[in-house]
Amino acid sequence: MMAAPKIGMEEKAGPNAADPDLADVTRVLAGDVDAFAAIVRRWQSPLVNMAWRYCRDRGRAEELAQEALVRAWRGLAQWRRESSFSTWLFALAANVYRNDLKRSPTVSFPIEEIAEPSCPAGQHDQAAERERGETVRRAVLALPQRYREPVILFYFHEMDVSAAARTLHMPEGTLKARLARARQLLRRRFPRLKEWSAPPSAVTIRSEEEAVQ
Amino acid sequence: MNAAQHDNRPDKQISPDAEFAALDHILAGEDSLAPSSGFLDAVMERVREEAVAPKPIPFPWRRIAPGIALAAGVFGWGAYEFAPAMWLALRQLATGAHPAALASSVHALAPAGWTVLALVAALLAWLLSRRIAGESGLL
Repeated sequence: MMAAPKIGMEEKAGPNAADPDLADVTRVLAGDVDAFAAIVRRWQSPLVNMAWRYCRDRGRAEELAQEALVRAWRGLAQWRRESSFSTWLFALAANVYRNDLKRSPTVSFPIEEIAEPSCPAGQHDQAAERERGETVRRAVLALPQRYREPVILFYFHEMDVSAAARTLHMPEGTLKARLARARQLLRRRFPRLKEWSAPPSAVTIRSEEEAVQ
Repeated sequence: MNAAQHDNRPDKQISPDAEFAALDHILAGEDSLAPSSGFLDAVMERVREEAVAPKPIPFPWRRIAPGIALAAGVFGWGAYEFAPAMWLALRQLATGAHPAALASSVHALAPAGWTVLALVAALLAWLLSRRIAGESGLL
């Protein structure tokens, strides 16, 4: 049986009611293995989606997310309550994904080899948009690793710089600088990017200055 | 006028913000992927397996300690023996000593050189085997 340090459950009764993660972690550390199912249920979708953004392979994304959750189970006692459970979990998952992709990368071609979409400028039909989207996402995966991860996590965290920086254990300034560099690389790769205007239904877009400063 | 309407004008003047708006739209507006139905069960199965698995055997530091102490002693003794001969050879080399004297010093160092070579070869073999094992997922 895996050693699980006991935490005084009665001491944590107050905050547990407000934080379901803390309550479940406390139960797991007290020996209730099945309590981990609630954590998996709550976080499976974000972790699979995050892994998908790292590898763009559904099967592999699920394998990676599974590995991250199993590692989280093994290391639950290492979660210090100073940061939120999600921060700790995403950081752990990013580490798992990064290491796995280092061993067997999904993209083995340089960004320069990705052709710009041939759709006419300003074309808004679904097929053209899909093609652009896929091309840009492939280009993100072909970025050097130091720029790729900030881009993936910035957009995964819905353009929240501080959340992405916390996941990467990186100062916000460093993340912003790498993000700006990554965007420059993408702009250089896709000079017609400026012609691909966002449709009216676009998500709320922050200005470059807001995102990069 | 919002950003998108601005972009649709034929004579649009695109600011750097608008350039990245398309990028933001593509990368932030990605569809969400739902985990497969068996995902939760697969994770919990692995977790339950690990929960009942015996604890990993700890590294036998206590047993190996005499071996480490012995190895350290041998290395220490070797260094103690090797250092004066090495120092003498270097001094003779620097002062331009008689070739015969230098040759005898070098000759005295030869066994130590072979020992060092053997140790380096062993270290390289160990590193190579670790690398191969790591790549094959054994480590």
